[in-house]
Amino acid sequence: MSILLDFAQGVLALALAPGLVGLVRWFKARLQNRRGAAPWQPYFELIKLFGKDGVVSNNASWLFRAAPYVVFGSTLAVAFLIPTIFAPQALGGVGDLLAVVYLLLLGTFCLALAGLDPGTAFGGMGASREMTIAAIAEPTLALAIFGLALEAGSTNLGQIVAQTLGNPALAVTPGHLMAFAALFIVTLAETGRLPVDNPATHLELTMVHEAMILEYSGRYLALIEWAAGLKLLIFFALLSNLFVPWGLAVVLTPVSLLVGVAVFIVKLAFLAGVVALLETRVAKLRLFRVPELLSLSFVLALLSVISSFVLR
Amino acid sequence: MTFLFLLLPPLIAALLAGLVRPTRAWVARANALLSLIPLGAALVFAAQAVAGQPAATFGPGELLRADSLSALLLLCVTGVAVLALFLGPNLGPDSHYDAEQLRRYQIFVNLFIGAMLLAVSANNVGVMWVAIEATTLSSALIIPLSLNKASVEASWKYILIGSTGIALAFAGTVLAYFDFVSLVGPIANALNWPVLLGNAHALHPEVIRLAFIFLLVGYGTKAGLAPMHTWLPDAHAEAPAPLSALMSGVLLAVAIYAVLRWKAVVDALLGPAFTNNLLIGLGLLSMVIAAFSLVIQRNYKRMLAYSSIEHTGLICLGLGLGPAGIFAALLLLICHSAAKSMLFLLAGGILQRYQSTSIASVSGLLKAMPWTGGLFATALLALLGLPPFGMFVAELALLKAGFAQDAPWLMAAVLLLLSVAFVSLVRHLNQLLYGPVPAGVAVGESFSWRSALFCLNLGGLTVLGLTLPAPLMILLNQIVGIVTK
Amino acid sequence: MVDPLFAQLSTLAASLALLFGLLLLWRRNLGSYVDAFQSQSVVISLLFCVVGYFGEDPQLYGVALLFVALKVWLMPRYLRKMQQRFAVEREREPYLNVPSSLILAGVAVILAYALMRPVVALSNLPTRGGLPLALGLIFVGLLVILTRKKAFTQVIGFLILENGITVLALLGTYGIPLIVELGVFLDALMGFLVMQIFIYQLHGTFESIDVDQLNQLRH
Repeated sequence: MSILLDFAQGVLALALAPGLVGLVRWFKARLQNRRGAAPWQPYFELIKLFGKDGVVSNNASWLFRAAPYVVFGSTLAVAFLIPTIFAPQALGGVGDLLAVVYLLLLGTFCLALAGLDPGTAFGGMGASREMTIAAIAEPTLALAIFGLALEAGSTNLGQIVAQTLGNPALAVTPGHLMAFAALFIVTLAETGRLPVDNPATHLELTMVHEAMILEYSGRYLALIEWAAGLKLLIFFALLSNLFVPWGLAVVLTPVSLLVGVAVFIVKLAFLAGVVALLETRVAKLRLFRVPELLSLSFVLALLSVISSFVLR
Repeated sequence: MTFLFLLLPPLIAALLAGLVRPTRAWVARANALLSLIPLGAALVFAAQAVAGQPAATFGPGELLRADSLSALLLLCVTGVAVLALFLGPNLGPDSHYDAEQLRRYQIFVNLFIGAMLLAVSANNVGVMWVAIEATTLSSALIIPLSLNKASVEASWKYILIGSTGIALAFAGTVLAYFDFVSLVGPIANALNWPVLLGNAHALHPEVIRLAFIFLLVGYGTKAGLAPMHTWLPDAHAEAPAPLSALMSGVLLAVAIYAVLRWKAVVDALLGPAFTNNLLIGLGLLSMVIAAFSLVIQRNYKRMLAYSSIEHTGLICLGLGLGPAGIFAALLLLICHSAAKSMLFLLAGGILQRYQSTSIASVSGLLKAMPWTGGLFATALLALLGLPPFGMFVAELALLKAGFAQDAPWLMAAVLLLLSVAFVSLVRHLNQLLYGPVPAGVAVGESFSWRSALFCLNLGGLTVLGLTLPAPLMILLNQIVGIVTK
Repeated sequence: MVDPLFAQLSTLAASLALLFGLLLLWRRNLGSYVDAFQSQSVVISLLFCVVGYFGEDPQLYGVALLFVALKVWLMPRYLRKMQQRFAVEREREPYLNVPSSLILAGVAVILAYALMRPVVALSNLPTRGGLPLALGLIFVGLLVILTRKKAFTQVIGFLILENGITVLALLGTYGIPLIVELGVFLDALMGFLVMQIFIYQLHGTFESIDVDQLNQLRH
């Protein structure tokens, strides 16, 4: 029974992902005094892309065709493992913090390789930039959640959530606050948002994620875009449910599940609003300044680990 | 009561200099005469200590206290202050400083001397810290008396490194206070040195170890111990001559005094081994860096500054060699203060005549300025440890202490470094003394009362070298007793 | 329960102070340094009030007031005036680049925790959790002084070093004896004014406040 519910949770995440991307774009448009496309526009885009043929360059190898499936698959696997509506128990034995981090890294890595594969200049440039960012962002992600894991005594995400639910005062300790700040910066970096990367540009000067996927079209592009939206949802879910877990269903009754869905959607919308506001306010950082921002988040994560370690 | 005669005259002198605008010659003369009063007070304190009277105290909560160690340092400080205020050749009527600069100098040099006197006579280690920080600030303001690139650079390095070091010393003080308070509770006199010393045996070793490291690094920065010495050659070389004399002669001594006070407290708890090792290590490092830097010196004021670093290293090394070593180190301190201050004052006269601080541009000193040259040479030889001057006896005592502590290789290294310094300094001295007088430099010098004062100073050093006067011997033994209780 | 709240508040304040100190290693323009220092001083004066309230020591309220007057109002005012003079200058290339300095700062905080373990174990005050953070702040101040090129940044590094020592004294012993405290304030004020004078002199003589230019005196 609970396995079915875990599965349903993952499918819900999959279904909500394009809507989340659309919501962020809609907020941004409104903040910039435009009407903007409706929040469900990305669904139509996905439907359109799935119907089109994929055009593949002559220079591309099997890697180019396989990568979108790997990226989508790994991101979907993470969606099953993280707490969105309730903390997954049945799959808890399979996945924990380290599994989440490695699966996300697998996706990033494959996408970078796919960017290099066709041998275009943009792809290589995007891949190298992405790797620069990922090199500092991934350890920070692991460290930030590890600080929480130290307090909970286990790297199981469900356990971490239970710890904070049982001890509300923990949520405002310096360790938690610093971990939240670090994870927020990592979210911006990993999902390709301003000030690290501009998701709406195709200029050589400013692309990172868009550069890697420039060659893709048709169903490949659809899978990659969906995976990107899903990644955004995953990070938002981690941010909201690990640090502010109230609203998560603790018992698996229909009422609490419905409440959980509602609270989750509210949290996603709130974070979408925050990110949209940030993107409107902040200018993109020059590329050599990005490691500075990321090392700040790394040190914040390190400090949160130290403070959890000492105060345990 | 005597404390008032000790601390008020410098303040009055500073006030006088501040009020008289523009400055007049009689202000400088009044300052010089006022500086004799603290010297008298210091002699009184020394006599009281030698006679075996208990330490004099003054002020609420025994704020000021003068035991044997304080008395010795007070003698050094006031003695060199008298020399500096009477004999500042750059500040006579023929100096190249204008009235405003002279006035600024008079104010701050007196505040500087007052701060040093307060540091040495304070009972509360916190007040001692405040006074030493005040010495940094007051001396930093008059290093760049004439604004040029070199002096501004020197003063910036001095104030930054000095203040940082002092802040670290304060962190050490806080840690020691923390330990004391966690043991005894926040009593009013917790930071008084005799109280700290009395309760030292009950403090916690790990905290006090950490605290002493901070204190040694902090006060060692002010003393010129390597590797925190980088400000010293610049600051002492670019400052006006009397200020260099004061800084090299006695400010280093005051910083070493602070280290010694804390060493006594730490040793009462941990035994002497911990502090001895640290002091010997840093002292040796300072001597190595200084000795090898002396070889390549091209500026005679920087040469004297590096010699100060070397002597600080030697003194700290001596402090780490047990009671006999402390005796030798204190003797070294006295002789160094006397000789180095004289050297810097004479160097000021040389600068005034030759208008250059590079060794290459100065030659024929014995022909151009026979009295200055002769006194300079004699003082430098006295500094290097030639008999019959006091430094020879002091260094011999240090070596004896080292051998008694079973450290023959250390003493061999010390001898080697001292000879490296000796050879370099004598080589530079030869360049200065002999050779033709450069064009444009006036020749000839008459014997003045200034030279007479310098001869008196040298006479004192000779007396120390030939025989150790009984009162001094008693004083030094008392100090060793206090510090190694 | 009073004790855990006290401990939490003091640790939170000490962490905030440390984070404001880290800002000096991250940002490049001089105005943000003054803001960071001012915010840090505000946090520390609040910490004075917290310790004064829970530790039942009304003297600390007076010290907090003095702290606000000196480090939240007076010093930032002078610093901003100075910064407007040198508005063109930014830390373009410090001796140690930004990511490395930040990581080194993280390592320094770990070192501070290691060094302060015996001290924390000894203390039975509820504020002892913040002691390593205070030592970490001292190390961060030292790092700023050693690795930054502009004299202005070095002065602010020195000021946060002093702040770190203040926090250490506050959390370890609920403050130091009043007379020493007053002396320390006076010294801090005088030191700051003297450094200010020197930066103006530096600018006047060298046409810049870049410490890299100070290479006249060698060996």
